[in-house]
Amino acid sequence: MKTTVIGAFPKISDDPGGQDLRRALHRFDRGEIDADALDRVFETVTRAAIAELEGSGIDVINDGQIRWDDLFARFARSWDGVSRGPLERFYDNNTYFRQPVIERPISTGGRTLVRDFELARAAAKTQVKAAVCGPLSFATLAAEDRAYKSLEERTLAVADALAAEIRGLGAAGATLVDVEDPAVVARPDLIALARAAYERLAKAGVPLAIQPYFFPADKVIETLATFPVAQVGIDLCSRDTKALSALGALRTHTVVLGVVDARNTRLETEAEVAKTIEAAAKVVGADRLWAAPTTGLEYLPHDVASKKLAVLVKGARAAMGVPA
Amino acid sequence: MTSEILLTTTVGSFGKPEYLQKARNQFARGKLSREELTTLERRATEEWIRRQEEIGLDILVDGEMYRGDMVAYFADLLEGYREGGLVRSYGNRYYHKPIIAGKIRRPNPMTVEWFEYAQSLTDKPVKGMLTGPYTMLDWSFNEAYKTRRDAALALAEVIRLEAEDLERAGAKYIQIDEPAIHARPEEIDIAIEAMGIVTRNLKAKTVSHICYGDFAAIYPQVLKLPVDQLDLAMSNYEYRWLELFDKDPFTKELAIGIVDVHEHELESVDEAAEGIRKGLRYVSAARLYPHPDCGLKTRTVEETVDKCRVVVEAARKVRAELKAKVPA
Repeated sequence: MKTTVIGAFPKISDDPGGQDLRRALHRFDRGEIDADALDRVFETVTRAAIAELEGSGIDVINDGQIRWDDLFARFARSWDGVSRGPLERFYDNNTYFRQPVIERPISTGGRTLVRDFELARAAAKTQVKAAVCGPLSFATLAAEDRAYKSLEERTLAVADALAAEIRGLGAAGATLVDVEDPAVVARPDLIALARAAYERLAKAGVPLAIQPYFFPADKVIETLATFPVAQVGIDLCSRDTKALSALGALRTHTVVLGVVDARNTRLETEAEVAKTIEAAAKVVGADRLWAAPTTGLEYLPHDVASKKLAVLVKGARAAMGVPA
Repeated sequence: MTSEILLTTTVGSFGKPEYLQKARNQFARGKLSREELTTLERRATEEWIRRQEEIGLDILVDGEMYRGDMVAYFADLLEGYREGGLVRSYGNRYYHKPIIAGKIRRPNPMTVEWFEYAQSLTDKPVKGMLTGPYTMLDWSFNEAYKTRRDAALALAEVIRLEAEDLERAGAKYIQIDEPAIHARPEEIDIAIEAMGIVTRNLKAKTVSHICYGDFAAIYPQVLKLPVDQLDLAMSNYEYRWLELFDKDPFTKELAIGIVDVHEHELESVDEAAEGIRKGLRYVSAARLYPHPDCGLKTRTVEETVDKCRVVVEAARKVRAELKAKVPA
């Protein structure tokens, strides 16, 4: 069993020395530093996030998504045919994102995140996975669509663009790509459409991990078992859910179990984490189980995120009988 | 009051003048005393009262010169809360997200002195401004209460005390903001129950501001929220929420957002007036209150004044049109 993380890691901390990126962005906005200087700060902070994730003992890390303003920003900035529209609250978080506006048919060279991934892989000692946004989340949260006739058409077009990105990441060496798609559980009525979109993503030929979070997976877990992905993420903490007892539906997938709540500061105990993992392992087997925070740790202050990582690793090791 | 219809107002917060921003930074670094900061906050409050009068707004606010974040301000003054670390809200903006760490209590009134001061500066009504219990819960980390409902109801009890104190101090309008009310549409009944605790003894006109979220997901249930007036961001959504009122008629007073507060660009008076006309299709002029979509604290003082001026001019324009239609 491995431990992993999902999504964005805190970009700054409350420590006086932990605010370099915040200051650099302010200075960039005021014209006091240029894009290259800002880029160097992004890189330094990314390296620090990678070092912290590795230092905490996480087995499969990501790059902390330090350059991501929100789940869609990287793609909306890079893709032809898309712009960034009005500000909106991101699901039930007091965190905001720019809604994508689709002005023309979407096209991409598929290299939006390749440089980020290459930098992360060069900086990391452990396995690094990549990530893209989910096609259903992008399509359902778009503010406007002047190119496609229906939600179905839009979702599949976004999936094609994301498949190009995944192909690009695969060519750069990515062996696992998270697809962060809260809409899959927020909109269970659209699960058939989501599945069709993932068929397109799978054609990129890179193992995928669907990461739907914030909402219970109870209503869709049977259908998720038919998705052409290697891993399925299950958020056990955000709302009441019986998903833990329904994990048996996922007969072939690796389950990425969200066992520490990335949206509340209350710190789980090592025993609580271990107990949940042990219960899941009885259903799916330890060889098909990974343990993770429920979503990106950026919803927490940095110091709490660090403590969550520590308890995740300790709880997972305790569950597997590995000495701390 | 300048007129009886299309009374103009604002959502609550205004841009802080540079001297106050600087002072707040100095205070945070321990280089300015609380008394010195309060003096500057009072000065800025008075300036905003004068500006609102000069612009011609009808129902005023104190501008919240003494507040940073709308939840953290109250959390700092309530027992049971502790300050959380920095979390990102958007882009390069961060805030200290508070933590409910124990039983919530209100040791002292939190906004009454500021209301009394602002009201003493003007003959126009000044709104009492509070953050609603559901939003206080949703925008805090909850480590202390077993369920979200338990925490929301506990918060409602202390906000009720504050609202009743504001009424005793003379507030004719009390606004209890619930911008998070649609965060979890399945919890709308909790928000309604909590608001019922806050407003149950009030005779003042009660208002609740709602913005940035899926309003359609809580409509028409939100009409059960026990307040007299709903204050909605509309311009940012190109007025699409109004279409919901075709199927389920809107039954409350409506404060309608007619300028976008997240855009530097200034709307024209004609654009804003068209927003009012759209609202008039559903709510009578006596029950329609034009205003900016949301608080203006992210705008500069100059942008804030310009946006408010557009609201006032748009209301005047539509009032004149309505007057012209009435036979002499």
